[in-house]
Amino acid sequence: MSGAARIGIGGPVGSGKTALIERMLEAFAADGTEVAVITNDLATDEDAERLRRGGRLAPERILAVQAGACPHTVIREDPTLNMAAADRLERQFPGLELILIESGGDNLASTFSLDLVDYWLFVIDVAGGDDIPRKRGPGVLQCDLLVINKTDLAPHVGVDFPAMLATAQAAREGRPVIASDCRRGAGVAEVIARLRRDVLFTAVAP
Amino acid sequence: MSGGAGELPALLLALRLGDSGFPGGGFAFSWGLETALRDGRTDRRALGDWIGSEIDLRWVPFDAPALAGGWRASGAAALADWAARVDECHWAEAPRRASHEAGMALLTATAAMALPSAAALREAAATGRLRAHLPVMQGALWRAAGLDLPTALALSGLGAARGLASAAVRLGALGAIGAQALIAGLEPRIARAAAGPPPEGALPEGFPAVSDVALLRPAPDRLFVN
Repeated sequence: MSGAARIGIGGPVGSGKTALIERMLEAFAADGTEVAVITNDLATDEDAERLRRGGRLAPERILAVQAGACPHTVIREDPTLNMAAADRLERQFPGLELILIESGGDNLASTFSLDLVDYWLFVIDVAGGDDIPRKRGPGVLQCDLLVINKTDLAPHVGVDFPAMLATAQAAREGRPVIASDCRRGAGVAEVIARLRRDVLFTAVAP
Repeated sequence: MSGGAGELPALLLALRLGDSGFPGGGFAFSWGLETALRDGRTDRRALGDWIGSEIDLRWVPFDAPALAGGWRASGAAALADWAARVDECHWAEAPRRASHEAGMALLTATAAMALPSAAALREAAATGRLRAHLPVMQGALWRAAGLDLPTALALSGLGAARGLASAAVRLGALGAIGAQALIAGLEPRIARAAAGPPPEGALPEGFPAVSDVALLRPAPDRLFVN
């Protein structure tokens, strides 16, 4: 695969995928990284519109792809429409370095096709339950980077976050896990640093 | 196909290219069905009529001649000319845009697979030298892959019927078992059209009014591309 690096961002509904992208766009805007985004919302262009309204990226750099009622199909079994959208963005913006492809919210079995992305993140959240890492879904196990979001909610939903994090790390067998609170920006710098090291090859991870 | 052993390579090629698992983005197109179900223009009981009408009024008179022209076109210039004519034959922007988008998706996937001609077609379409209408691209790609015209038409017709039935399944309007019965019922019509290909130069025509209007209806909360 040539051109811009393609990064998938998947995870259950409401886990914070769009919030993470908003924070990432702030960081990339600050250092001048050339980015575009493709969203795969289940219905509507809601995620794409939210990102456009956020103003961190020119609206024409944000495309919405319909998933035909199958959020996992459009990123895994048949990622053709996302590939076509990414190709279109690369042609339109020749200096593009990164294309972020946000999956529609799906279950723990969703994974990204490596025909579509070079690297992918799976975002789960504390409020979704501390049993998610224990269920060892393909999303949690196979992603390149697992993000556990909404750490601030742990005391409010009865989750022992250190135990949840330890379970996730054990399930991942040494592959990276980052805790985040995207609403306040916590953990986002670590995600960016990881992408710089593993995808953009422009920095060393902390 | 008579089923002789010598025909097995051609049969396998057709099965592979026509497989529902062949990635081409088609699963995300409902060709107006989603909107029609939402608006009550069709329902579970009338679904067979809807899909049958799409075959009779869209696929047979429009898509089949468009595919045949794409299959018969000799060289890049002739194919571009034919695709431009097919483009002009669409009476409304929504089906024209959807057909082009579906064709571009097919070119994207087949170019990534390095199927014969796909990369050149994709480049021509991406740079505006070719209108990538789906049936025209199917004709060109499948001929380059080695399919004869009747087989290419059969694949296209069956794919159209299966795509609509599959969309109906995902919209909760049809079960997977019922979908097979419905498709089986359409096979004789598809086979007739494929066995007697449109004459050379026959232009696409047809006016599937209800489904085209469904395609034109605004649907901001839709699940499908169209």
